[in-house]
Amino acid sequence: MFSKSKNILGMNARNLIYIRPNNLKSAKKLADDKLRCKRVLKKAKVPVPRLIKSIKTQEDLDNFDFSTLPNSFVLKPNFGFGGDGIMVVYGRKKGSENVWVKANRSPVTEDYLRTHIKNILDGSFSRTGTSDVAFFEERIKLYPGFKPYAFRGVPDIRIIVYNRVPVMAMMRIPTEASGGTSNLHRGGIGIGIDMATGVTTTAIQYDRVVEKSPRGLLLSGIKIPQWKNILELAIKAQDVSRLGYLGADIAIDRENGPVFMELNARPGLSIQVSNQEGLLTRLNRVEGLKIKTVRRGVALSQNLFGGEIEEEIEGLSGKRIIGTVERIKIIGRNKKEIKIEAKVDTGAGFTSIDLDLAKELGFSETMEEYERIYLEQGEWKKLENLTAKERKLLFKKVPYLVDTAIINSSHGTSYRPIVRVKIIMDKKMIPARITIIDRQHLKYPVIIGRRNLKQFLVEVK
Amino acid sequence: MSTEYSQLVNVALAYGVPLNTVTLILMLPIVVTIITFFRQVIGIKAFGIYTPAMITFAFFSIGAQAGDFSKGIKYGTSIFIMVILIGTLSRILMKRFRLLYLPRMAIVITLVALATLAVLMIGGFFKRTGLAGVEIFPILIMITLVEKFVSTQIEKGSRIAIILSLETLIISLISYSIIRWQPLISFVQQYPWTILLTILINIFLGHWTGLRLMEYFRFKDLISGKNVLKK
Repeated sequence: MFSKSKNILGMNARNLIYIRPNNLKSAKKLADDKLRCKRVLKKAKVPVPRLIKSIKTQEDLDNFDFSTLPNSFVLKPNFGFGGDGIMVVYGRKKGSENVWVKANRSPVTEDYLRTHIKNILDGSFSRTGTSDVAFFEERIKLYPGFKPYAFRGVPDIRIIVYNRVPVMAMMRIPTEASGGTSNLHRGGIGIGIDMATGVTTTAIQYDRVVEKSPRGLLLSGIKIPQWKNILELAIKAQDVSRLGYLGADIAIDRENGPVFMELNARPGLSIQVSNQEGLLTRLNRVEGLKIKTVRRGVALSQNLFGGEIEEEIEGLSGKRIIGTVERIKIIGRNKKEIKIEAKVDTGAGFTSIDLDLAKELGFSETMEEYERIYLEQGEWKKLENLTAKERKLLFKKVPYLVDTAIINSSHGTSYRPIVRVKIIMDKKMIPARITIIDRQHLKYPVIIGRRNLKQFLVEVK
Repeated sequence: MSTEYSQLVNVALAYGVPLNTVTLILMLPIVVTIITFFRQVIGIKAFGIYTPAMITFAFFSIGAQAGDFSKGIKYGTSIFIMVILIGTLSRILMKRFRLLYLPRMAIVITLVALATLAVLMIGGFFKRTGLAGVEIFPILIMITLVEKFVSTQIEKGSRIAIILSLETLIISLISYSIIRWQPLISFVQQYPWTILLTILINIFLGHWTGLRLMEYFRFKDLISGKNVLKK
């Protein structure tokens, strides 16, 4: 029990280790300022809901012509938080001027809007309680695929991005309990998402696992459209916001596809429950990585944090992720198998194994015969002068020898025999031509070189 | 009562600072340290640090005047709960008028104040004058608690507001019990400088990155690896 709790990110660690050093004050300020966010994101070509009008002062309010408002819109306080003070208007009431309706069909008159805006300007919904700015923006239209799940609102996707890698994601859907907001504290449902495929996994409400939506629909297995695109938006938002530990909120519009809603400098911890996994493990895995491009960040995220559907994705990209030290199995002659730890070294061309190991794998005869001929020839430099054909001829009679090679390594130049084995690494079978060398003085008896790493991405810790 | 005070306390007394004042001021660092401990290690949030500290001293003051530890708890808790109840009722009442925030809050506080007066009078009518005998300042502090409660209700919803109020009540009651504990009072009067230890404790708490006790409960399904969904 204790070891598992170590993987969980708690409030103390989140604040002290992740938010404090990574989310600087200026970046946090930007995240809280919705209008500035909108401008900055738009400039970086991240799609955001279109701004209809911002109202900064009482004068602005007095001069505003409400009849210019479209049929549906959202009214928001600029410095609001936790979804407070947000009013969503769905349509114009038929037959009356300047009267709209909310999702619950209750009417919204011009006076009603004015009072609400006054409250916003007064700072009733702002984080600091000081005066605020109100603005109207385009309403996000519900994506039909999500329609059966959402109650009077639009589900959004929360993605935690750290070090340019999306580490965890969750879909949040509004419920009756949450009053149509996707706020988890208020009873919204959060569903974990498989990072590789964008398919939902476990659902939670009030931090406890639930299986079905209030209307009885299964919540796992929902496919989120344009998943890669969404991950890219999240990384781009991190780049422009400079929030090192970011909670990106993205919604999907029926017509425009993924739209960036909000930057969050203090993302909550429930995402761990809905993904049935702690954040600390994932955060540690991407710590210190240098992610040069947005695409690389997406690929890493999908490869590292894809769950059960991982195999499928790796199959698609064709690459599996391995570490610098991997447990492998070598299959030698007569199906002789040896399990061993190997060093993955992208600096080496050939894979090489230690002499003793080669003998264990059934290449004793090969080595004896090879060494006899080698010694007969004297210095290897003489061998070097021979043509490839001549060399082949020379070692023709050595059993199980496929070739020979001159290897330049940091230890000097050597002339080595090559034999054929099979290597099983990360569940993949690789037929390999490997060199044999005395590696007794080295920590790992096996080095996996570039030639046998074509199917892998190496993750450097 | 112990009569052996430290040099510091004696000097303060000689300059005319009342013993009660000295003691309470020395207790404040202990109270706020208890509150931070509850937040960082146990995970009970309450309404920040100011409100529970004030409520603690309100309890203390009520208890001291009633001359009885348990009366402090009894009267304090009843006023606390009453304030929360009336606050909720008046908020629901005020909702339909759609007033600006501050005027609305002022009306809510007015209603709570009137209700408190009514309760004191009803107490007197039934010849239960204990509460009415209490000085007004601790009661006023309790009344202003309603702002914290109502604004939390608006910001985070009723559920969170009620949880935070209960947490505030619990922390205040615990802190109150601790600062009324005679051995601690004597100790602080004898060794006032030990109060500086709270700074060390807070430095430690400020670096604490472990899971909070409540988080073990919150994430218990995750920790036990129990996945309720059958795959």
